[in-house]
Amino acid sequence: MSWDTSTQNFDDHALRMANALLRGNGGTTASLLMPPATEDMTDAGQLGLNPPNFQSLPLSPAVFRRLRPTMREGQPARYELLISGVAVQGAVSQLQLSSADALFATAANVVVGGELFLIESTSVSESMGAVYMYRLLLREAASGWLMQPPS
Amino acid sequence: MQNARDTFYVTLRNRLATVSPDRTVVMRAVTRPGILVEDAEAVAAQLPLDVFVLRWTKLATDTQLPSILTQLTCEIHYATAGTQSNSGLDRGRCLEEMDDELLQILCPSSTPKMNYTHTPAAQMGTCVFWSQAIFDTATIGRERLGRVATVNVFAFQEQGEK
Repeated sequence: MSWDTSTQNFDDHALRMANALLRGNGGTTASLLMPPATEDMTDAGQLGLNPPNFQSLPLSPAVFRRLRPTMREGQPARYELLISGVAVQGAVSQLQLSSADALFATAANVVVGGELFLIESTSVSESMGAVYMYRLLLREAASGWLMQPPS
Repeated sequence: MQNARDTFYVTLRNRLATVSPDRTVVMRAVTRPGILVEDAEAVAAQLPLDVFVLRWTKLATDTQLPSILTQLTCEIHYATAGTQSNSGLDRGRCLEEMDDELLQILCPSSTPKMNYTHTPAAQMGTCVFWSQAIFDTATIGRERLGRVATVNVFAFQEQGEK
Protein backbone atom coordinates (compact mmCIF):
# COMPACT_ATOMS: atom_id res chain seq x y z
CA MET A 1 0.00 0.00 0.00
CA SER A 2 1.32 3.46 -0.82
CA TRP A 3 0.53 6.71 0.91
CA ASP A 4 0.16 10.13 -0.61
CA THR A 5 2.90 12.02 1.23
CA SER A 6 3.01 15.04 -1.05
CA THR A 7 2.69 18.43 0.59
CA GLN A 8 -0.77 19.91 0.13
CA ASN A 9 -1.14 23.32 1.65
CA PHE A 10 -4.70 24.45 1.92
CA ASP A 11 -5.60 27.76 0.42
CA ASP A 12 -9.03 29.13 -0.34
CA HIS A 13 -8.83 28.79 -4.14
CA ALA A 14 -11.64 26.22 -4.17
CA LEU A 15 -13.87 28.46 -2.07
CA ARG A 16 -13.26 31.43 -4.35
CA MET A 17 -13.74 29.38 -7.48
CA ALA A 18 -17.01 27.94 -6.16
CA ASN A 19 -18.24 31.42 -5.33
CA ALA A 20 -17.36 32.68 -8.79
CA LEU A 21 -18.99 29.73 -10.54
CA LEU A 22 -22.15 29.95 -8.44
CA ARG A 23 -22.41 33.69 -9.16
CA GLY A 24 -21.73 33.11 -12.84
CA ASN A 25 -24.33 30.35 -13.18
CA GLY A 26 -27.34 32.06 -11.74
CA GLY A 27 -26.22 33.54 -8.46
CA THR A 28 -29.55 33.51 -6.73
CA THR A 29 -30.37 33.77 -3.01
CA ALA A 30 -31.95 30.97 -1.02
CA SER A 31 -33.38 31.51 2.44
CA LEU A 32 -33.49 28.94 5.21
CA LEU A 33 -36.48 29.22 7.52
CA MET A 34 -34.98 29.11 11.00
CA PRO A 35 -36.69 29.01 14.41
CA PRO A 36 -36.78 32.36 16.19
CA ALA A 37 -34.20 33.33 18.82
CA THR A 38 -36.91 33.52 21.48
CA GLU A 39 -37.89 29.92 22.14
CA ASP A 40 -41.54 28.94 22.42
CA MET A 41 -41.60 26.60 25.43
CA THR A 42 -45.39 26.60 25.83
CA ASP A 43 -47.79 23.70 25.33
CA ALA A 44 -49.50 25.67 22.57
CA GLY A 45 -46.19 25.86 20.72
CA GLN A 46 -45.99 22.05 20.63
CA LEU A 47 -49.63 21.54 19.66
CA GLY A 48 -49.65 23.63 16.50
CA LEU A 49 -51.60 26.46 18.14
CA ASN A 50 -48.89 29.12 18.11
CA PRO A 51 -47.35 30.29 14.81
CA PRO A 52 -43.69 29.20 14.67
CA ASN A 53 -42.50 32.68 13.58
CA PHE A 54 -39.69 31.30 11.47
CA GLN A 55 -36.92 33.76 10.61
CA SER A 56 -35.52 33.99 7.11
CA LEU A 57 -31.76 33.36 6.81
CA PRO A 58 -30.60 34.35 3.31
CA LEU A 59 -27.67 32.45 1.77
CA SER A 60 -25.91 33.49 -1.43
CA PRO A 61 -24.51 32.88 -3.93
CA ALA A 62 -26.57 29.81 -4.72
CA VAL A 63 -27.69 27.98 -7.83
CA PHE A 64 -31.13 26.45 -7.97
CA ARG A 65 -32.08 23.98 -10.66
CA ARG A 66 -34.55 21.26 -11.38
CA LEU A 67 -33.26 17.73 -11.34
CA ARG A 68 -33.57 15.70 -14.48
CA PRO A 69 -37.30 15.01 -14.56
CA THR A 70 -38.55 11.46 -14.29
CA MET A 71 -42.28 11.58 -14.87
CA ARG A 72 -44.16 9.86 -12.08
CA GLU A 73 -47.77 10.61 -11.42
CA GLY A 74 -48.43 12.23 -8.05
CA GLN A 75 -44.76 12.74 -7.27
CA PRO A 76 -43.66 16.31 -6.52
CA ALA A 77 -40.85 17.79 -8.58
CA ARG A 78 -37.34 17.63 -7.13
CA TYR A 79 -34.71 20.30 -7.26
CA GLU A 80 -31.18 20.81 -6.14
CA LEU A 81 -29.70 23.84 -4.51
CA LEU A 82 -25.97 24.47 -4.59
CA ILE A 83 -24.85 26.90 -1.91
CA SER A 84 -21.47 28.50 -1.41
CA GLY A 85 -19.47 27.06 1.48
CA VAL A 86 -18.51 30.59 2.51
CA ALA A 87 -22.17 31.58 2.90
CA VAL A 88 -22.99 28.49 4.94
CA GLN A 89 -19.97 28.88 7.21
CA GLY A 90 -20.94 32.52 7.75
CA ALA A 91 -24.44 31.46 8.79
CA VAL A 92 -23.06 28.77 11.12
CA SER A 93 -20.85 31.36 12.82
CA GLN A 94 -23.65 33.91 12.98
CA LEU A 95 -26.01 31.50 14.73
CA GLN A 96 -23.19 30.02 16.86
CA LEU A 97 -24.01 26.48 15.74
CA SER A 98 -21.61 23.56 15.92
CA SER A 99 -21.72 22.61 12.23
CA ALA A 100 -23.43 23.04 8.90
CA ASP A 101 -25.32 19.79 9.58
CA ALA A 102 -26.81 21.43 12.66
CA LEU A 103 -27.79 24.44 10.55
CA PHE A 104 -29.66 22.35 7.97
CA ALA A 105 -31.19 20.12 10.66
CA THR A 106 -32.54 23.19 12.45
CA ALA A 107 -33.96 24.73 9.28
CA ALA A 108 -37.62 23.94 8.72
CA ASN A 109 -37.75 24.67 4.99
CA VAL A 110 -36.05 26.58 2.21
CA VAL A 111 -37.49 29.47 0.23
CA VAL A 112 -36.21 30.15 -3.27
CA GLY A 113 -37.82 32.74 -5.49
CA GLY A 114 -40.74 33.09 -3.10
CA GLU A 115 -41.58 29.39 -3.24
CA LEU A 116 -41.32 26.89 -0.42
CA PHE A 117 -39.25 23.70 -0.64
CA LEU A 118 -38.56 20.85 1.79
CA ILE A 119 -35.02 19.59 2.43
CA GLU A 120 -34.66 15.92 1.51
CA SER A 121 -30.92 15.51 1.99
CA THR A 122 -27.65 17.39 2.08
CA SER A 123 -24.19 16.62 0.78
CA VAL A 124 -20.92 18.49 0.41
CA SER A 125 -18.11 18.99 -2.06
CA GLU A 126 -14.71 19.49 -0.53
CA SER A 127 -11.14 20.19 -1.48
CA MET A 128 -8.31 19.19 0.83
CA GLY A 129 -10.73 18.70 3.69
CA ALA A 130 -12.40 22.09 3.35
CA VAL A 131 -16.00 22.25 2.19
CA TYR A 132 -16.45 24.69 -0.66
CA MET A 133 -20.04 23.90 -1.67
CA TYR A 134 -23.16 22.38 -0.13
CA ARG A 135 -25.74 20.53 -2.20
CA LEU A 136 -29.30 20.34 -0.93
CA LEU A 137 -31.81 18.01 -2.50
CA LEU A 138 -35.18 19.74 -2.32
CA ARG A 139 -38.75 18.68 -2.85
CA GLU A 140 -41.49 21.04 -3.94
CA ALA A 141 -43.84 21.76 -1.02
CA ALA A 142 -47.36 20.54 -1.71
CA SER A 143 -48.86 23.60 -0.05
CA GLY A 144 -47.79 25.92 -2.87
CA TRP A 145 -47.57 28.86 -0.47
CA LEU A 146 -45.95 32.00 -1.80
CA MET A 147 -43.45 33.27 0.75
CA GLN A 148 -42.26 36.78 1.47
CA PRO A 149 -38.90 37.54 -0.15
CA PRO A 150 -36.09 38.17 2.37
CA SER A 151 -35.92 41.78 3.52
CA MET B 1 -61.67 15.86 19.15
CA GLN B 2 -58.72 18.22 19.02
CA ASN B 3 -58.86 18.62 22.80
CA ALA B 4 -58.63 14.85 23.21
CA ARG B 5 -55.63 14.69 20.90
CA ASP B 6 -53.90 17.58 22.68
CA THR B 7 -54.60 16.08 26.10
CA PHE B 8 -53.28 12.67 25.08
CA TYR B 9 -50.03 14.17 23.77
CA VAL B 10 -49.38 16.47 26.75
CA THR B 11 -50.13 13.64 29.20
CA LEU B 12 -47.68 11.29 27.50
CA ARG B 13 -45.08 14.05 27.22
CA ASN B 14 -45.28 14.92 30.92
CA ARG B 15 -45.09 11.27 31.92
CA LEU B 16 -42.10 10.70 29.64
CA ALA B 17 -40.26 13.60 31.30
CA THR B 18 -40.63 11.71 34.59
CA VAL B 19 -40.05 8.16 33.34
CA SER B 20 -37.07 8.94 31.12
CA PRO B 21 -35.76 12.50 31.65
CA ASP B 22 -32.76 11.84 29.39
CA ARG B 23 -34.93 11.15 26.35
CA THR B 24 -35.11 14.60 24.85
CA VAL B 25 -35.36 16.11 21.40
CA VAL B 26 -34.45 19.55 20.09
CA MET B 27 -37.32 20.87 17.99
CA ARG B 28 -37.22 24.40 16.67
CA ALA B 29 -34.32 25.20 19.01
CA VAL B 30 -36.27 24.03 22.09
CA THR B 31 -35.14 21.02 24.11
CA ARG B 32 -38.15 19.06 25.26
CA PRO B 33 -39.17 15.48 26.12
CA GLY B 34 -38.60 13.10 23.22
CA ILE B 35 -42.13 12.87 21.95
CA LEU B 36 -43.89 14.95 19.30
CA VAL B 37 -47.02 15.17 17.23
CA GLU B 38 -46.12 14.67 13.61
CA ASP B 39 -48.75 17.02 12.20
CA ALA B 40 -47.75 19.84 14.55
CA GLU B 41 -44.13 19.95 13.37
CA ALA B 42 -42.35 20.81 10.15
CA VAL B 43 -42.32 18.05 7.55
CA ALA B 44 -39.12 15.98 7.66
CA ALA B 45 -37.67 13.57 5.12
CA GLN B 46 -37.34 10.89 7.78
CA LEU B 47 -38.77 10.47 11.27
CA PRO B 48 -36.21 11.32 13.96
CA LEU B 49 -34.47 8.53 15.86
CA ASP B 50 -34.97 7.82 19.56
CA VAL B 51 -38.15 9.88 19.68
CA PHE B 52 -41.81 8.88 19.94
CA VAL B 53 -43.82 10.32 17.05
CA LEU B 54 -47.61 10.44 17.36
CA ARG B 55 -49.50 10.06 14.08
CA TRP B 56 -53.27 10.38 14.17
CA THR B 57 -54.98 8.16 11.63
CA LYS B 58 -58.52 6.74 11.90
CA LEU B 59 -61.59 8.37 13.33
CA ALA B 60 -64.81 6.62 14.36
CA THR B 61 -67.85 7.89 16.25
CA ASP B 62 -70.67 6.32 18.24
CA THR B 63 -73.72 8.58 18.00
CA GLN B 64 -76.09 6.20 19.84
CA LEU B 65 -74.99 7.51 23.26
CA PRO B 66 -76.23 10.68 25.05
CA SER B 67 -72.91 12.30 24.08
CA ILE B 68 -71.03 11.42 20.92
CA LEU B 69 -68.17 9.06 21.70
CA THR B 70 -65.20 9.52 19.41
CA GLN B 71 -62.53 6.93 18.82
CA LEU B 72 -59.26 8.29 17.48
CA THR B 73 -56.53 5.92 16.40
CA CYS B 74 -53.03 7.03 17.29
CA GLU B 75 -50.01 5.34 15.78
CA ILE B 76 -46.90 5.85 17.87
CA HIS B 77 -43.82 5.47 15.67
CA TYR B 78 -40.37 5.08 17.11
CA ALA B 79 -37.01 3.89 15.86
CA THR B 80 -33.44 3.73 17.04
CA ALA B 81 -29.99 3.06 15.67
CA GLY B 82 -28.54 2.27 19.08
CA THR B 83 -25.87 4.35 20.77
CA GLN B 84 -22.62 5.67 19.39
CA SER B 85 -20.63 4.27 22.31
CA ASN B 86 -21.75 0.75 21.35
CA SER B 87 -21.47 1.41 17.60
CA GLY B 88 -25.17 0.64 17.20
CA LEU B 89 -24.82 -2.95 18.38
CA ASP B 90 -27.20 -2.17 21.21
CA ARG B 91 -30.06 -1.09 18.94
CA GLY B 92 -32.15 -4.07 20.01
CA ARG B 93 -31.71 -3.11 23.64
CA CYS B 94 -32.51 0.53 22.87
CA LEU B 95 -35.72 -0.46 21.09
CA GLU B 96 -36.72 -2.64 24.03
CA GLU B 97 -36.04 0.33 26.32
CA MET B 98 -38.39 2.46 24.23
CA ASP B 99 -41.03 -0.30 24.30
CA ASP B 100 -40.81 -0.29 28.08
CA GLU B 101 -40.99 3.50 28.33
CA LEU B 102 -44.05 3.54 26.11
CA LEU B 103 -45.79 0.94 28.26
CA GLN B 104 -45.03 3.03 31.35
CA ILE B 105 -46.25 6.35 29.95
CA LEU B 106 -49.49 4.79 28.70
CA CYS B 107 -50.42 3.78 32.28
CA PRO B 108 -52.79 4.80 33.78
CA SER B 109 -54.92 4.84 30.67
CA SER B 110 -57.08 7.87 31.37
CA THR B 111 -56.73 11.54 32.21
CA PRO B 112 -59.06 14.55 32.54
CA LYS B 113 -59.65 16.27 29.20
CA MET B 114 -58.04 19.70 28.92
CA ASN B 115 -58.55 22.63 26.60
CA TYR B 116 -55.16 24.00 25.60
CA THR B 117 -56.53 26.87 23.52
CA HIS B 118 -56.93 28.71 26.85
CA THR B 119 -53.98 29.99 28.87
CA PRO B 120 -53.66 28.43 31.38
CA ALA B 121 -55.22 25.24 30.02
CA ALA B 122 -58.77 24.67 31.28
CA GLN B 123 -59.98 21.33 32.60
CA MET B 124 -63.12 20.03 30.89
CA GLY B 125 -65.94 17.90 32.27
CA THR B 126 -65.00 14.47 30.92
CA CYS B 127 -61.97 12.26 30.64
CA VAL B 128 -59.89 10.97 27.77
CA PHE B 129 -59.19 7.25 27.98
CA TRP B 130 -57.37 4.80 25.77
CA SER B 131 -56.90 1.13 24.99
CA GLN B 132 -53.82 -0.99 25.55
CA ALA B 133 -51.13 -0.53 22.93
CA ILE B 134 -50.89 -3.04 20.12
CA PHE B 135 -47.21 -3.41 19.19
CA ASP B 136 -46.42 -4.22 15.57
CA THR B 137 -43.51 -6.36 14.45
CA ALA B 138 -40.21 -4.49 14.58
CA THR B 139 -39.08 -3.18 11.20
CA ILE B 140 -35.46 -3.15 10.11
CA GLY B 141 -34.20 -0.51 7.70
CA ARG B 142 -30.44 -0.87 7.48
CA GLU B 143 -29.18 0.44 10.83
CA ARG B 144 -32.64 1.61 11.93
CA LEU B 145 -34.75 -0.65 14.09
CA GLY B 146 -38.26 0.63 14.55
CA ARG B 147 -41.74 -0.21 15.66
CA VAL B 148 -45.28 1.15 15.52
CA ALA B 149 -47.61 0.85 18.50
CA THR B 150 -51.30 1.57 17.94
CA VAL B 151 -53.55 2.99 20.63
CA ASN B 152 -57.27 3.78 20.36
CA VAL B 153 -58.09 6.99 22.21
CA PHE B 154 -61.68 7.60 23.30
CA ALA B 155 -63.35 10.86 24.34
CA PHE B 156 -66.87 12.21 24.67
CA GLN B 157 -67.75 15.32 22.72
CA GLU B 158 -68.85 17.94 25.24
CA GLN B 159 -71.40 20.67 24.66
CA GLY B 160 -69.97 23.40 22.44
CA GLU B 161 -66.78 21.46 21.80
CA LYS B 162 -65.53 21.47 18.23
